[in-house]
Formats: sequence, C-alpha cells, structure tokens
Amino acid sequence: MYRSTGFISFIFRRVSGVALVLYLFIHIWVIGSINAGPAVFDQRLALVQTPIFKLMEVALLAAVIYHAFDGIRLLIVHYFNVTDARKSMFYAMFAAFILVTIAGGVPIILFMLEG
Amino acid sequence: MTGNRMEASTQSAAVRIQRFDPDVDKKPYFRTYHIPVTADTTILDALDAIKQHQDGSVTFRRSCRHAICGSCAMNINGRNTLVCNQPVRAHLDKKNQISIRPLPYLPIIKDLVVDRSSFWEQYLKVKPWLLPPDGVPEKEYRVSPDEVAALQNAETCIMCGACYSACQVVALNKNYLGPHALLKAFLRVLDPRDSQPGQRLQQLDGDYGVFRCHTIFNCIDACPKQLNPTEAIETLRKLIQKRVTFAAAREVRQEKLLSESR
Amino acid sequence: MRLFRMQRFSAIALVVFMTIHMVVVHYPPFHIDFSRIIERLDQPLWKGIDIAFLFFVLVHALSGGYAVLMDIERVNASKRLLMGAAVLVGIAAFVYGSITILAFHPPAAVVVLP
Repeated sequence: MYRSTGFISFIFRRVSGVALVLYLFIHIWVIGSINAGPAVFDQRLALVQTPIFKLMEVALLAAVIYHAFDGIRLLIVHYFNVTDARKSMFYAMFAAFILVTIAGGVPIILFMLEG
Repeated sequence: MTGNRMEASTQSAAVRIQRFDPDVDKKPYFRTYHIPVTADTTILDALDAIKQHQDGSVTFRRSCRHAICGSCAMNINGRNTLVCNQPVRAHLDKKNQISIRPLPYLPIIKDLVVDRSSFWEQYLKVKPWLLPPDGVPEKEYRVSPDEVAALQNAETCIMCGACYSACQVVALNKNYLGPHALLKAFLRVLDPRDSQPGQRLQQLDGDYGVFRCHTIFNCIDACPKQLNPTEAIETLRKLIQKRVTFAAAREVRQEKLLSESR
Repeated sequence: MRLFRMQRFSAIALVVFMTIHMVVVHYPPFHIDFSRIIERLDQPLWKGIDIAFLFFVLVHALSGGYAVLMDIERVNASKRLLMGAAVLVGIAAFVYGSITILAFHPPAAVVVLP
C-alpha cells in the first residue's frame, strides 16, 4: 500500500462519489412518490426526516462538499501548472472542507435537536 | 584521517528486509539484520554487506551504483526510491531501523526482486522511440532552446519503475499505460523532430491512456530524478483536445526544421 | 477524452447547480413537505433549473460510475455492456425524474360553493 496525500484524496473521492451515486437514485425514488399524489409524498418524506436521517444528512453534506472541493482542486491542477504545490493544495482543500461542513452541519443538527 | 573520522561516527542500524522465496514461503515476512553504518553507507552498501557477511540468500537487483541504470528501485519505509544513492542514516527511524521492501503492486520473484514485465510491455506500447520524418537531413536538426525546455528533462528518465509501482491506478489495472510510458509519450509528442504526434495523441486518448490517470501524484513523489509525470499527463490531456491543430503545426515546424538542416 | 470532457463540464455545472440547490432547498433547515416545495416549483423557471440539474447530475454520476468500474481490470472486457447499461439507466432516470419534477403542480382548484 502506497500511502500519500494523493492516495487519501483519491480514496475519499472514490468513496464519496460512489456513495453519492447510490444516494442519487434513492433520492430520485423518494421524490418520485409525488407521482402517487401529495399525500403519499408527504408520508414518505416524513419518513426520511426522522433524527437518524438528519444525522445521515450531515454525512451526505460532508460527501458532497468533499467531492466538490476535491474536484475543484483537480480542475486547478488541470488548468494551471501547480503540481509542485500538491500537498499544500490538499491540506488547504481539506481545511476548507472541514470548515464548510461544520458551517453547514450545525444548522441541521440544531434543527434536529429542536425537533 | 578520514578513516578515523568515519570510524568515530559508526553506528549500528537494524535493517529489516522483506523476504520471500516462492519455493518455500507462503507469504512474505521480515528479517532484521544488524550492521554498522557510517554517514557514507548507502542502502545498497548495506544490502551488499548483509549479502556478503550475514546471509548470502538475500536477493536484489543492482548494477551501476550511480543512480543511472535504474535497477535498484525499492520501497524504503513505504516510499519508492533508488537504494544506491540514498544514505542509510537519512532513512533510520527513532528505533534506528530501516525497512526495505520490493516495489509494491508488482509480482515478487524473490525477496526484493519483482517481475517488471508489465512495466516493459506498457512502455513498448507507446512506441518510445523517435519517429522521424521521411528524408534524412544532411546536417543535424536544429531544435530551439524553448522546445528543449518544454520537454522538462523527460529524457533523463532512467526507467527504474519507481513511479510505475507507486501508481494506484496501475495497482488496480495493469492495462493502464502507466506514468513511465506516458512520460515517454509526452517526450516524443513534444519533440519537434517526431513526425507522428497526431497518431500518438490518438492512442493516448484510449481507455488506458492519459484519461485513466486519477491525479494521485505518487509518480512525482516517487521519481528519483525529480521528473513530473503528472504534469506531462496534464499537458497531453490538453494537447489531445486540440490534436488536429497540434499535428498540423508540427508538419509546418518540421518543414522548417528540414529546410534549416539542408 | 469525451468522457473526460463530460466529467469536467458537468462538474463545473454541478458546482453552480449544487450550490443553488443546497442554499435554496435545504437552508435554513426546515421540515420539507409538499406545500413548502410547491411554493418554489410552481414557477416554470425553477422546473427548468431542476431538470437541467437532473441532467448534469446524471451525466456526472454515470460517467463517474463508468470510470470507477473501468478502473478494474476484470471489468474492461465488458466495456460495451457497461456503456450500454449506463446510457439506458441515464435515459430512464432522466425521463422518470423529469416526470416527477413536472408532477409538482398545485392540486386542481377546488370550487368552494358559497
């Protein structure tokens, strides 16, 4: 196993990507319940807004933000010659990911605690 | 006097070597050898000393001892590097220990020797040689300093396999051309004397070419010659997107090149 | 290159659409039900934005999934099958998703007699 910041970013990108693809199809299915009428829709949506799902929503948010930020990092690598700064770019990206996830996650958890 | 100074600074180091004999062992294991090292002892010196004085069965590849033949790439404390130009002391941990493994992700033949067949097979796929235009010039080609600088020293690659075996895409899929072959392809594509950049770029656009790279950067970290395969791959990606214009410009350049050399 | 371009362009589009989606649909967090969504989705522009979002997200997800699977050596032989499956799933999900988005309209007006 060859460990490096590049490898860590790759593993996280892969895992978050695959998780998001799976989520996407579940999401399409859940929202698709509108085709059976607003009543069924509200019922199924209430099901996925229980506290446990709210916590999973924070994980989802983390996956989205990580995947997006890492993607932006790769876009920068593609368009500008910045491979020499590869390590600092990864750390900067990771710090930004943590900060934005906390900023986005706290309101969800607060909302969940309020009930 | 030099001898005295070296003697004074001798210390003992524990060299952990990953051993594996396919005829006897089910899986690789580590064996530790204790040897005296000075500031000048390279890892290769240490391996030689162990083989000579302690255990003749330790197997590894080596040849030139001057970091140019590319035989002795190994994995030292988890990092790929050449062992002939690395002092043991620079890699000792707190316990005065250094771990030597064979190049990862490749089949082990014995101890530190790996099967590099796929490395060479992929290399040959990119036609690593120069494909010059028809009509041999009477004088030498005159390539501009800018054109040489654009090659980013890619010609100094020694084919040691450190980048190839550090690449996780290679680990997943041996059909992938690999950073070494792509760096060589980059060298040929950008060489003003090469007549087929269009065809080369078309090949690199395939399923196992530059777009299979996931920008993990391990190849840069591993290269003992400070080359940059990732940057080369990114350059090739950009060139593939303007392949036709690039190939046409090369034809014009080559006519000039030939007329200058007449 | 085609896949790579699809990935890159859809990625850039997604950065924009995902930001809109998160900010408008999820923040500040609230209990989501039909009546909340219909306020926004009653407008044709939002329907258009959501369908475009669906398109880019499917392109990105399926080309990404294809690339992930093609990284595995054993899968390489079934390349065409994989590509075909991705296209079919993409079309099916896009059609179903679009129908879903279009289904968000206010219930038929109930005539209240005096």
